[in-house]
Amino acid sequence: MHAKSLRPYLYILPAFVFLFFFTYYPAGFAFYRSFFHWNTSFIQPEFAGLYNYRQLLQSRRFWQVVTNTVVYSFSFIAASVLLALFLATQIDRVKRGGSLYKAAFFYPTMIPMAAAAMIWMFMYLPDYGLINYYLRRLGFSSVGWLNDRSIALFSVTMVGIWKYTGYYMILFLAGLRNVPDELIDAAHIEGANGRQRLLKISLPLISSHLFFILIIAIINALEAVDQIYIMTQGGPSNSTNLIVYFIYQNGFRFWDMGLASALTALLVVSLLLIVSTLFLTLGRKVYYEV
Amino acid sequence: MKFERYVWLSYVLLTLLAVLMVVPLVFMFTTSVKTLGDILSLQFRWVPREFTVENFTRVLQIMPFARYLYNTASIVAMTFLVQSITISLAAYAFARLRFKGRDLLFFLFLVQLMIPATSIIIPNYQTIRTLGILNRRLAVGIVYFASAYGTFLMRQAFRAVPRDLEDTAKIDGCNGPRVIRHVLLPLTKPSLIAFAFVSGTFHWNNFFWPLLVTDTVRARTLTVGLAMLTQATESTPEITITMAAAVMITAPLFMLFIVFQKPFIESFAGAGALKG
Repeated sequence: MHAKSLRPYLYILPAFVFLFFFTYYPAGFAFYRSFFHWNTSFIQPEFAGLYNYRQLLQSRRFWQVVTNTVVYSFSFIAASVLLALFLATQIDRVKRGGSLYKAAFFYPTMIPMAAAAMIWMFMYLPDYGLINYYLRRLGFSSVGWLNDRSIALFSVTMVGIWKYTGYYMILFLAGLRNVPDELIDAAHIEGANGRQRLLKISLPLISSHLFFILIIAIINALEAVDQIYIMTQGGPSNSTNLIVYFIYQNGFRFWDMGLASALTALLVVSLLLIVSTLFLTLGRKVYYEV
Repeated sequence: MKFERYVWLSYVLLTLLAVLMVVPLVFMFTTSVKTLGDILSLQFRWVPREFTVENFTRVLQIMPFARYLYNTASIVAMTFLVQSITISLAAYAFARLRFKGRDLLFFLFLVQLMIPATSIIIPNYQTIRTLGILNRRLAVGIVYFASAYGTFLMRQAFRAVPRDLEDTAKIDGCNGPRVIRHVLLPLTKPSLIAFAFVSGTFHWNNFFWPLLVTDTVRARTLTVGLAMLTQATESTPEITITMAAAVMITAPLFMLFIVFQKPFIESFAGAGALKG
């Protein structure tokens, strides 16, 4: 009898072991280590209280990274989610070529971000780049897409939008497929125009998809790092340094694991706070089909 | 019945945007078969002045491509194999068994979705080092051996299977794991294949974690090899060679995508099942 009541837990155990050692434990461990001096010169980590956090709060670099990450996240999320919704509604309308359009927008999901970043880096090159070539032909002067500190973050954001929009579009299309045609037709007969049909019928019906896509986009925004590593290394003058790259810099370039742990703890807490807040507020309002 | 006006406008907008989206892909292909002289002429041509495959042979000289390909393929396969075991066992418990703390445990699983592996590279690196598996392929995969997404997907799939089928199997003397293997999994193959597509794509393309835990040819993946390539060529990054390498590391997955376009896209759309 006793063995039987343990049985369900045995099924969960293998997955749980990996979850524990590579998700929960590291999150907790980063939090714990954030209270220590911990770098290569300290053989044994030494308790430091809030030292690492004080270091961060006083550092201009840290605040610049926070600002960059917030700006990147908002512009990336707004642009990719709205564009994805737009594309999905348009593809939903057309009768022919749907799968061709889908492939054209979705294929970046198949391209590794590392390769995508290389491609874009070369398209952004000041002299030999494709984009400046056309700008010059149109009579504009060349732009330092990745060299100009006031533009670099924008250039990096474009890569993220290009890479993820198609994926979000596919998720929106899955939602739109569940909206019954009769409902749309009925609204049409009642005289609702295209915008009303989208805002009053389709959108509320796919609100659970919209909510879910928003959550994925937030996570995708905050974990962005591949393109930074390849394209800019956080520069010029820190203008494209995002939170995960900053963690990497402190941990693996400056070997200050204590500071990197404090940053990790802040990132994990932010992720949990943002997602759970959304679940408790917006999440309760969205429509779930049964 | 869709009696829309201005559908032509949708076609125009979609075509325009689709062309823009495809530009980077065409740029990659065309640059990969150009000569460096063509690039340096400052005249951008969509069709190369002269075609060359030399960039590809150069990549094969500079980069141990076959080894990276082998590493990547085995990491993808290993990760999926272990995942398919952990997720189907857990999914079975969550779908079919009743036990104390089930909802809490399920919630704990979902927390993994909010803490992507990329956000906890520092502590995970320490764990990998402590385990003594730095620079091994296992280090790249092990972090992903449990998948909340996969567990959720398979739980949904198992729930849709009628219980009678399992009961018959149990009367015939099948225990839980055998029921999963011989009854549930064959019936939920589409879901497992969908997960294989999503997991495989993620791990084929994964970059930052493999970059951190590998530092020799022994365990490096294709994406890491690509990044090393530009660091190896100290001079101005050789655009043509790098793009040839990008074509080579992208090609296997991309061809798979072209052949299985529909199931591929459907698999990713399946992530929508996570809502609710």
